[in-house]
Amino acid sequence: MSSLHAFIAANRFGFGAAPGDLQKIAPDPVGWATRQLDARYVQNALLARLPSTASTIKDSMGLMQRVKKAKDSGDAEAQRKMQRETIKGLRDDYIGEAAARTRAAIISPAPFFERLVQFWSNHFTVSATKRQSLPLVAAFERDAIRPHILGSFSDLLRASSRHPAMLLYLDNARSIGPNSMAGKRRNKGLNENLAREILELHSLGVSGGYTQSDVIALAKMLTGWTADAEAKGDGSGFLFINLIHEPGDKTLLGKTYHNNGVQEAETALADIARHPSTATFIATKLARHFVADEPSAVTINTLAAAFKRYDGQLIPLYKTLLSLPEVWQNPLGKIKTPNDYIISLARATGIDVEDSMLAAAYKSLNQIPFAASSPAGWSDQGKDWMGGEALLRRIDLAQTVATAMHTKLSPQDVFAQTIGPVASPTTAEAVRRAGSAAEALTLIFASPEFQRR
Amino acid sequence: MTNTFDTAHLPRRFFLQSMAGAAAFTALSPFRVSFAAAPGDQRFVFIILRGAMDGLAAVPAYGDRAYAQARGSMALSKSAYTPIDGFYGLHNSFSGFQSLMQKKEAVIIHAVATPYRERSHFDAQNVLECGAARPHGLRDGWLNRALSVIDTKSDTPGLAVGQTIPLALQGKIAVGSWSPSGKGIPPDALMLTLEKLYAQDTVFHSALSQAVNIHDIVDGNNMGKTRGNANLRNRQAMADTIKAVGKILSDPKGPRIATLELGGWDTHAQQGTDAGVLANNFATLDEAFKGLKEALGPLWEKTVVLAATEFGRTVSVNGTGGTDHGTASCAFMAGGAVNGGGVVGTWPGLDKTQQYEGRDLKPTTDLRQVAKAVLQNHLQLPLRDVEQHIFPDSLQMRPLDNLIRKT
Repeated sequence: MSSLHAFIAANRFGFGAAPGDLQKIAPDPVGWATRQLDARYVQNALLARLPSTASTIKDSMGLMQRVKKAKDSGDAEAQRKMQRETIKGLRDDYIGEAAARTRAAIISPAPFFERLVQFWSNHFTVSATKRQSLPLVAAFERDAIRPHILGSFSDLLRASSRHPAMLLYLDNARSIGPNSMAGKRRNKGLNENLAREILELHSLGVSGGYTQSDVIALAKMLTGWTADAEAKGDGSGFLFINLIHEPGDKTLLGKTYHNNGVQEAETALADIARHPSTATFIATKLARHFVADEPSAVTINTLAAAFKRYDGQLIPLYKTLLSLPEVWQNPLGKIKTPNDYIISLARATGIDVEDSMLAAAYKSLNQIPFAASSPAGWSDQGKDWMGGEALLRRIDLAQTVATAMHTKLSPQDVFAQTIGPVASPTTAEAVRRAGSAAEALTLIFASPEFQRR
Repeated sequence: MTNTFDTAHLPRRFFLQSMAGAAAFTALSPFRVSFAAAPGDQRFVFIILRGAMDGLAAVPAYGDRAYAQARGSMALSKSAYTPIDGFYGLHNSFSGFQSLMQKKEAVIIHAVATPYRERSHFDAQNVLECGAARPHGLRDGWLNRALSVIDTKSDTPGLAVGQTIPLALQGKIAVGSWSPSGKGIPPDALMLTLEKLYAQDTVFHSALSQAVNIHDIVDGNNMGKTRGNANLRNRQAMADTIKAVGKILSDPKGPRIATLELGGWDTHAQQGTDAGVLANNFATLDEAFKGLKEALGPLWEKTVVLAATEFGRTVSVNGTGGTDHGTASCAFMAGGAVNGGGVVGTWPGLDKTQQYEGRDLKPTTDLRQVAKAVLQNHLQLPLRDVEQHIFPDSLQMRPLDNLIRKT
């Protein structure tokens, strides 16, 4: 059964098999995945040249100043030109960032590592659908997620909550303690958005046992956590402004926190990360991503117990996941998201396309990178991805890739290297009997087996 | 003239169904059902406003003495709304809806909420769509359950506008999805092979069959090249999409129930008042109502369109020129089958003591009362099915009277 386990490892834990992957994985699928839990994969040559959070903020500020200057000049033509250039610049940067991220997954020798990065990045969603966070979403994944996925959950929660992309996306950068110095002077106040989503989406989960007053308490503790727009801080992009921090004691989940500036929310986040509801919530999300759309209570409980036993340390949690018998069963249990599908097509074929083509493929399949429509992120359930129109677009992409690559590939090799271990006799026969290489490849890529993981 | 029995000219949907072996004979019938005929002919469009729409910004209760103070800087100026009845006004971004109200074809239900009383978008949307009294109380959507008791002659009784199916329409009955700017369905030869491959996988098989059915209607109407934008975030994209949706719904064998999703309502910061982000979003929603009347033509008489959101927003402005998650909002209903004209519902008041938990508009109407009126009085579904099957545990929630025109 090792070829079956290799298929599962390559698709469920990785992003699909590239030529040779299945043979490489087959002798020891668990070992193949475990070896990727290594800090050397944090650095990635493809991503190394991209701008950091701090320099992105600096560039955005420079841009805004130039826009303002053009506006102040009163020259309508200059203003329009500036506007065009700004939009084009943002768009080009974004397409480049999205393509680099996808390529990192396509060519990665450690696709399990890359999947974990994307899993956590989706868990802590920041979205380019909001103008303020748009320039920073890719830097968020690189700086707040990537370096921490082998650490503890607490590290991840802290890093994501402090990152300017998150502070801007969920409006905390504008939230002001009503009784702070600035709040009293300017009659401004709280914004609950980040506090609520930290509790609901990032840690305890919606049934995790918090109330509206806990949301307000955490929102108060988070006042002063802002984006460092003017490079006054330590270069991370985070800035704490005590002037807008809500004074006084706050009670969160039954514990009283004394006013302690930036440290207050830091302590609260560390406490939240250790909460039993967080263990269950994270276990459920991991199980849904790696086991089944509707994971069993047994699976969730095992992972939650590991989360608690290892105090939120993630490497032992991933190892527990890999040790579960159920993750090595039911090889076609989940439907690939469009992102999974696109990356696995590219890994299987070696196709290389321009950034703009890659962006077009994602747009067509309705999963534009870094642009989830809500802070809940992309759904991890097949029913939310499979509709008639969605399937037609996948078939269209399958055909496009097959047409582009059929002269360079042998369909029987691609078949063996990808869905061979799980293909039904009907699929195998249809591929064998196809009238041309392009048709055979289309059938492989459009088959249910290739679209599942 | 096409002979319906000439297989060379058979629409693909028929072909696919005969391949599957099911319903081949009814599908091959040359007799098309005319509009005047059967029950099960009414259309219902449900617009899901995701993100929690601020009902007080859309329909200000300017006649409430507490209005100006409670809304503070968020109170609309007099020139930004049209008075409806001396108490409520309608934001001027809703010019199309306004004229439907004058024709008595539109109604607003205010201070309405689902049974959900917490403030999570995602649980609230789950309740709005599954139709249970609590999050995740049912696994399928209330519209799909409604389809299971409608006797239609439709090949694809439900349509999701978008690539995928929202929970409201998910369930046992196979439904289609369509969104603009797709390339359409693959060549016949490939389709035939894929049909065999997908025969083993019910999820893929069902998705493909429904896609083919919808595209037969769309392509037959030369709408395959419709420009547009799946997220419908702007007016033009909405207008283009609505034109196509109108054609799909107008097909005698087309869908009876359709869903549209419109996001962008989660206005925590700088939502604007007379103009601004929220006002622009209102205009996009308005386009859907206006456009559907136009696109549906005579079928508008048999149509109800309902737009509802998962919950409302705080009465007062928050610290950042926006509003946080609240409870009650308003719902919009329009259509030739609607008995319209004004604002329906008991007004709870905006005084601090009248607010829900001292911060939100208090709900006085359950959204299920509105939905049940549509199911019973418009779609004419038996009370028993509505009470036991579509909205179980809703016996207390009587359908609102007089929302639907009596025929």
